[in-house]
Amino acid sequence: MTDPSTAAPAAGPAPFVRLEGVGYEVAGRTIFDKLDITIARGRVTAVMGPSGTGKTTLLRLITGQIRPSRGRITVDGEDLALLDTDGLYRLRRGMGMLFQNGALLTDLDVYENVAFPLREHARLPEPLVARIVLMKLNTVGLRGAARLRPAELSGGMARRVALARAIVMDPKLLIYDEPFAGLDPIALGVVLRLIRDTNDALGLTSVVVSHDVQEISLLADYAYLLSGGGVVAAGTPAELARDASPVVHQFMGGLPDGPVAFDYPASDYAEQLLGAEVPA
Amino acid sequence: MSVAGEFVASGRAVLIKAGSFTLFTLRLARVAPALVLRRPGLVVEQVFNTGALSLVIIMMSGLFVGMVLALQGYDLLQRFGSTDALGSATGLALLEELGPVITALLFAGRAGTALTSEIGLMNATDQLSAMEMMAVDPVRRVCAPRFVGGVIAMPLLAAIFSMIGMFGAQLVGVTLKGVDAGQFWSQMRGSVDLKDVDQGIIKSLVFGLACSAIAVYEGYHAVPTAEGVGRATTRTVVTSSVAILILDYMLTAVLL
Repeated sequence: MTDPSTAAPAAGPAPFVRLEGVGYEVAGRTIFDKLDITIARGRVTAVMGPSGTGKTTLLRLITGQIRPSRGRITVDGEDLALLDTDGLYRLRRGMGMLFQNGALLTDLDVYENVAFPLREHARLPEPLVARIVLMKLNTVGLRGAARLRPAELSGGMARRVALARAIVMDPKLLIYDEPFAGLDPIALGVVLRLIRDTNDALGLTSVVVSHDVQEISLLADYAYLLSGGGVVAAGTPAELARDASPVVHQFMGGLPDGPVAFDYPASDYAEQLLGAEVPA
Repeated sequence: MSVAGEFVASGRAVLIKAGSFTLFTLRLARVAPALVLRRPGLVVEQVFNTGALSLVIIMMSGLFVGMVLALQGYDLLQRFGSTDALGSATGLALLEELGPVITALLFAGRAGTALTSEIGLMNATDQLSAMEMMAVDPVRRVCAPRFVGGVIAMPLLAAIFSMIGMFGAQLVGVTLKGVDAGQFWSQMRGSVDLKDVDQGIIKSLVFGLACSAIAVYEGYHAVPTAEGVGRATTRTVVTSSVAILILDYMLTAVLL
């Protein structure tokens, strides 16, 4: 395992995203204390961790949807703190994000959903828009579903449409929030292959947030494990699998007992039952 | 917390919300002109959604409001032997008051709630966040067209309401109660002038601004849960209705 304090895929290409000493607090609760993460250009980097460790919050920080309480975040060489709204929007034109539920626009069909960023940002003739949209839909195997409404799609199909929409502007950075949640084995395999192929074929940088250890082991070039407001381990999936530290061992092995508590803190069980104490 | 403390806290919360609403409305107003010029299709679509889809309820209500107005007006005027003035009374009441006010109340209940729940659900299902991630400003793309569409639709709906209301009044006054048709229409034409029509248009424009801004604001700021969207929708109806009645008094006092 690599020491998390100095963790970075150092031997690889220049970083695309860098978080340095990032802290984030909301409503008096510390989500991140001091986070140092480097996302290497051209690689698939995974961010893993138990539920509630702030994985989605990390994505929101990287995309500038929220500002850190302290520390510095740079994306493609640009310090997010120095960007105004227009600057952030300019930067986001080079990013694509796949939301956990797809977040397709429900009043548009599949074709129009994929065409949406093109129509908003580029004044292209309709035949060209059609060609680009059909190519992206073909990439995710849904060219034939172009006129279906989002309500008619399965979870896996919705996520593939969202992936087509995320890559329609040919972004440099692609971010996936829990791309494997709730997928059947076939859809899971397809999404897994799509993420890898899309990254390699288009020369992208990918960040995958997930707690699916097996899938990440197959997919990621490098992985960070978050817990307790910081990075507890970092390395290649193989390195993490060999790690003997209690937190990593518990998470990678899916063990109920370990430093990461499964139960939410509560008063004494027997006392509460015997006293018929109603939770305050 | 003491009663005084709670009073201060809720007063502060009201002021914060009023400030937030004002800033949001100014933002809408700032992006609206460019939107109308560059993306008229988006506005037309929303005029259809908020206006055309409200037509049936507006026409039905207009008809029955006109009919009951004629019935009550006839009963009242009969006591003074001046039933010939029924056309003037119903025409002025519909154009200056009932047309804009009832249309706005119906608009808040039908189109306003639809706008709030639609935008609120878009927020709850990450559609607005997805737009932001695609470098598309949801206020510009989602809220502004709905706001402008509502502002355009309201005077049109109020005009249709008043027109159908006059037809309903004529139906009851002339056909049912036997008021002379010539007297009914000539009295109406004689007493209603352009100033009265203008008053109705100004009122419905202001109501359109208020109702659309409230509906869009509540949807955009709704807590992204089923309960949050439900509460926001309720707030849209309550706030819009109160705002319409307060604005109506203020506008009447100024315009009369």
